[in-house]
Amino acid sequence: MAPARRLAPVAAVAAAALLALAAPRLLDRGTLNDVWNVAFAVILASSWNILGGFAGQVSLGYSAFIGIGAYTTVLLAMKGVNPYLTLPLGALLAALFSVAIGTPTFRLRGPYFTIATIGVGEAVRVFASGVRFTGGSSGVRMPAGAFDFDLNFAAMALLAVAVVALSALLSRSAFGSALAAIRQDIDAAEALGIDATRFKLAAHAISAALVALAGGLYAINFQYISPGSVFDFRLSLSIVLMPIVGGVGTVAGPVLGALIFSYLQIKLLSVPSLRDSYLFLYGGVLIVVMLFEPKGLVGVWRRLSRAVRGRVPSHA
Amino acid sequence: MNRGTLPGFPRAPLPLRSRGTRTRGLVRDLPAVLLNSLFAAGLYATMSYGLAVIYGVMRIINLAHAGVMMLAAYTTLALSTRFGLDPFLSLFAVVPLFFALGVAFHRLVVRRLPRTTAAASMESLLLLFGVWLVLQNLAYAIWTGDTQSILTPYTMKSVELLGVRVGVPSVLVFCVSALSLVVLQLVLKRSWLGKAIRAVTQNRDAALLSGVDADRISAVAFGIGTAFAAVAGTMMSTLYAFTPDFGRSFLLKAFCIIVLGGMESVAGVALGAAVLALVENALAVYTTVPTSFQDAVSFTLLVVVLVALPQGLPALFTRRTRRGIPA
Repeated sequence: MAPARRLAPVAAVAAAALLALAAPRLLDRGTLNDVWNVAFAVILASSWNILGGFAGQVSLGYSAFIGIGAYTTVLLAMKGVNPYLTLPLGALLAALFSVAIGTPTFRLRGPYFTIATIGVGEAVRVFASGVRFTGGSSGVRMPAGAFDFDLNFAAMALLAVAVVALSALLSRSAFGSALAAIRQDIDAAEALGIDATRFKLAAHAISAALVALAGGLYAINFQYISPGSVFDFRLSLSIVLMPIVGGVGTVAGPVLGALIFSYLQIKLLSVPSLRDSYLFLYGGVLIVVMLFEPKGLVGVWRRLSRAVRGRVPSHA
Repeated sequence: MNRGTLPGFPRAPLPLRSRGTRTRGLVRDLPAVLLNSLFAAGLYATMSYGLAVIYGVMRIINLAHAGVMMLAAYTTLALSTRFGLDPFLSLFAVVPLFFALGVAFHRLVVRRLPRTTAAASMESLLLLFGVWLVLQNLAYAIWTGDTQSILTPYTMKSVELLGVRVGVPSVLVFCVSALSLVVLQLVLKRSWLGKAIRAVTQNRDAALLSGVDADRISAVAFGIGTAFAAVAGTMMSTLYAFTPDFGRSFLLKAFCIIVLGGMESVAGVALGAAVLALVENALAVYTTVPTSFQDAVSFTLLVVVLVALPQGLPALFTRRTRRGIPA
């Protein structure tokens, strides 16, 4: 491979990271907030896509991992630990939890797995609202102290760049090929000697850990969390919708979906009458995408470019 | 007939405890546990069969099922407030209406999905999930998010059966459930339509070769599944208070039941329903598991079954892997 082609992605990642670090100097606080939301959405969508897209295991229980990351950070911060130091622990706990729930639920295939993950999310939410250390429905608050938005922004933006870079790397690696084989035909993949359960568990753990990191940063930024906010089913739902709109199983799709979704969310929240019809919107999007282009915007793009390229020789 | 929002209305089934205070005597509470389980199982089986028939004929997991149950509960509410129609009598209007809706929905939307014979497709699952969300939003727009309930003259009445006091609505619900399942069983076993449904369930291609119009049978099956969801929803509206989000925990229960009992037979569904109902009731009476954790019971049961006896789950796994091998 030519060195220029090898260096181009590295340069792109470095440029994106520099841009993320320079953003606080260039943009005003309101715009930064929007960019923060986009970065958060990109992390969630791209991480989910590692299991849901590359490996084809659609999970509707990802709010559990956000919640684990967020609660680890807040509960330890209340004990006096620096919140940023708690992030790796939250990621580790989320990865362990993902293995614990993946071991039984990965026995289920395709849609059955999806329904079981609705159950996981629901069970976690019910549990979190019932036990005392989560603060019940009233939630828990970060200890009062100096809050540095720029630091939080930088961490979130860098994490987003890292997650997208990781997802691009994974899609080209042997690991990614194994996941793709599992998605296309799990029986054939196992016949070729791929330990499907182990690969699925690994993909689940990686994406859970990344989502938990984002959850911890979310908690640091918002200072207050409750089971109703971080274990919400709607959160799991939007995590799934972003890659689906953009294009499941591609690197660009989830990023595209996250951009569109955060834009819509910002718009929706500013129009009160639309705020009540977000379910209508989400549901409508799902119906339209599934009926007309299950591969999302990336699928539309591929179809268009194929049509453009295909027509020239055939009609020439 | 009274109606409207009643904040104090019990969310759990009406009091079905045995008389006396909180004694945990196994024998003493046994009749209550068994009777309550039986009554709950009737409703659960009706609710789950709708999912099972649609899965059997079309290999589609109908997540909109929960939305249909919710919509039926609100339709029953509307009929009872507008026309003073008794919830159980309103079944005569609700069932044909939802059957027609199901058939129409199949004709307009479901048929356009790419057909898969081997396994349920992710596309159909997500599409119907989208339909569920739209139905929820529809209910929020029409009836707002307030908790609603239907109060009839007999809602608070109870009768004594085998020394256990049982709410009258529970008894009626059980009778309707049992009746609907018996009628269904007769239709499936005796009529041409039932034979055709079973044929398509067993092997769609072979059914097509024998002259069964599988597409039409699919539409009818979707109608039947929707109608069963509506029956369940109407009956639940007499037992529970409901909101537009109503149905999610019941959907999980229904899924647990069809995994336990197998997707394709009425008997299997009934068995799965009985097991879940028994576990739930026994846990509520004999242990101190808080009632707020009740919703987690079905999921835990599902996980336990999956870990402990994966081969014990009949149709779902063995058949699917066999079908996975291209013929």
